[in-house]
Amino acid sequence: MPREAEPSLNEKTFVLQALQEKLRLDGREFDQYRPLELTFGEEYGVAEVSLGKTKVLAKASAEVTVPYPDRPLDGVFQISTELSPMASPAFEVNRPTETEVLLSRLLEKTVRRSGALDTESLCLVAGQKCWSVRVDVHVLSHDGNLIDACCFAVVAALRHFKKADTSIEGGVLTVYTPAEREPVPLGWLHSPFCVTWSVFGEEGDIAILDATRAEEQVRVGSCTISLNRHGEICQIAKLGGTAVEAIALLNCTGIALTKAKELSSYLDGKLAEDAKRRDKSGRAELLTAENDRVTG
Amino acid sequence: MPLDTSAYNLALLRVDGRRWNELRRIHAQIRTQPAADGSSYLEMGHTKVMCVVTGPSESGARRVGTTGGAAAGALGSGGGGSRDGDAEVVVSVVLAGFSSVDRKRRGRNDKGILELQSTISSALSSSLHTHLYPRSTISISLHVLSQDGSLLAALLNAATLACIDAGIAMTDYVAACTAGSTSTYAANDEKADPLLDMNHQEEQELPGLTVATLGQSDRVIVLVCESRVQVSRLEGMLAVGVDGCKQVRDIMDKVVREKGRRMLEEGAIEKGVGLEDMDLD
Amino acid sequence: METQSQSFVVLPGDAIDPSIIPTTKTKPLRLGPGLRHIPPSEIVPTVSGKLIVDPRKNSMWVEYNSHRYIPSQNDLIIGQIARNAADFYYVNISPYNSNATLPHLSFESATKKTRPQLAPGQLIYARVTLANKHMDAELECVSSTTGKAEGLGPITGGMVFDISLGFARRLLMAKSKDEGGLQVLELLGEEGLAFETAVGRNGKVWVGSDSPKIVIIVGRALKETDEGDLGVDAQKKLVKRLMRDMR
Repeated sequence: MPREAEPSLNEKTFVLQALQEKLRLDGREFDQYRPLELTFGEEYGVAEVSLGKTKVLAKASAEVTVPYPDRPLDGVFQISTELSPMASPAFEVNRPTETEVLLSRLLEKTVRRSGALDTESLCLVAGQKCWSVRVDVHVLSHDGNLIDACCFAVVAALRHFKKADTSIEGGVLTVYTPAEREPVPLGWLHSPFCVTWSVFGEEGDIAILDATRAEEQVRVGSCTISLNRHGEICQIAKLGGTAVEAIALLNCTGIALTKAKELSSYLDGKLAEDAKRRDKSGRAELLTAENDRVTG
Repeated sequence: MPLDTSAYNLALLRVDGRRWNELRRIHAQIRTQPAADGSSYLEMGHTKVMCVVTGPSESGARRVGTTGGAAAGALGSGGGGSRDGDAEVVVSVVLAGFSSVDRKRRGRNDKGILELQSTISSALSSSLHTHLYPRSTISISLHVLSQDGSLLAALLNAATLACIDAGIAMTDYVAACTAGSTSTYAANDEKADPLLDMNHQEEQELPGLTVATLGQSDRVIVLVCESRVQVSRLEGMLAVGVDGCKQVRDIMDKVVREKGRRMLEEGAIEKGVGLEDMDLD
Repeated sequence: METQSQSFVVLPGDAIDPSIIPTTKTKPLRLGPGLRHIPPSEIVPTVSGKLIVDPRKNSMWVEYNSHRYIPSQNDLIIGQIARNAADFYYVNISPYNSNATLPHLSFESATKKTRPQLAPGQLIYARVTLANKHMDAELECVSSTTGKAEGLGPITGGMVFDISLGFARRLLMAKSKDEGGLQVLELLGEEGLAFETAVGRNGKVWVGSDSPKIVIIVGRALKETDEGDLGVDAQKKLVKRLMRDMR
């Protein structure tokens, strides 16, 4: 298995020394993200996120399937992540690394378990037919902070996604093509965002946001906090690593909340922009078949 | 099975009759397996965990081994203990089929279990002095015999005890427990009380988190929250959790000292010069 | 025929106009990297890049940029000690590649007893002495003719930055300002920053200084010049901007 290339002693010492003097290699502040960019594809549900040199593509798709027998009233929702050698030579195909397992667990906990997507609204005929929504996350380039970028891409893709409209008449399910009826967005309840702190120093007293790959290789611990803009924690994961003062963790959570709010409004802006671009004729209002729903 | 959380406000007692700041009974033993380098058995309420530590031993072909071992090895190496010259902490967790009510079989590659293993490995390597055992492997295998909430906490505590028994140098105990909040997320109750040490039923219904601290300090090694909860409640829950960890640490400390005293009395070990003035209380 | 060297853009397999091939009777024609001679008289480029023809030296080669470094003899490289063996160090020159070897005795005034002790992860500045395509490369940290280190050896402190191979070559040119179009280091020096650099042909540049701030500025200047492929004017602007950021 190719192991990740280790940074040299000089690099490790320097990154730490610079951080102790409040300097980062790319001249950012400790709590500053790299430039975040989000572009939607031509299709619904394709989102490409770049965070500095980290690049992630998420694609949401849906099909009609049979629900799980133990959950007849719920649709199926899954997120699959793939870290291919494209992102870094340390990744191999078909052999999940620790990074990949932890990443997919975090996305699962942040987006799926926090109930961001209303899975009950995916049910078509109880116990017989439901939508199966899946998001495929592809990491195109890995330069640190995959978690935040992937989570943002997943949420963006799902909020942008529209599934085909359906109707049931006399027990017959009809799925309409986009030409017949305008596709409808998913039932979305709230938008969680991951904010990852990287911890440095013997005592774990330096914490920075959005670490690059070089910084990630030197860090002694990390803490990922998932929040939505309403100030709800969806998940916290500080999985081991150097011990950090409890007070410092609370501070980190506070800053993470403001970051999550920034991410949230950035995404809202982008979605509105995209909707405007698509709605050239200005008749989208007339075409929607669904009642307005407050999304979070 | 909805938990009747409204009852709490009447008597301030939880479903199992505890108050908000009470731990469940913790019973622990060390050196349970004579053949192992270090071993422990730990009960936190009805959560029962056994741990066996082997090592530090020479790391052999494990690193380039076949899928099963390598997967665990690769994941276990996550704690930063895998750097060249440091010992690698490899953790394997086995959930016995009979340990929970639903008897669901979880495979070796279940992502949840892999995450547990990686967390325990990383948490312990931050306390263990892995640099003292270059190019070696500390292998920790944990068996869950019965589950009733606070699983990660019980696993961490059992692993710490077993590592102490194995005589591996460490900074301090890694003590863990869970904390929760009395009302559900949806209730949006501002006055929700924090709860200490959640059982399975509470974990299902209420928001909660697992905390592990380094010994008596306020320094948090592990903080895992898997449920939706308001930011404002975090502080209270964390404070109660950290406090609970201190209690857990004292209990574990007592277990270790008691075992040491008994071994002296039984003559299992020589009372050396250095042990003369050892505090046996 | 002109005496100045000229350059053309070539792609692999392109036909080279015979009129630009230097023809001097006295010296044989020398082909540099990226060119292949197919007997009797055909010369074909094997990589895409800038074909440089130097009539004075009667030589031609292709100047190209790539990312993965392939060792070749007499290159100066920045390597990282991977591990220690019986009488040599394994040195990592580029990640995910096989290691090069550096004999313990290839240091200035090293004997069996006084060889330098290098920890894994330590950076060294070394010269490639042997680069055979079927064998691991061999390095030295001492000039075999003079027995002096001549600037080679372990590197302490500072920081390395990854750059492209073409950029490293441009930095190493004797007249990097005129031939390579690089002025960024001189400009930074003019601003009063005190720093030292070492450039490895394997796409690494090491920057050392007493102040981490200066190291970061120089590193950023180099990386941005490389990634943006900046011209001299843009380099001036970049240096001004970075100096402003620093204050």
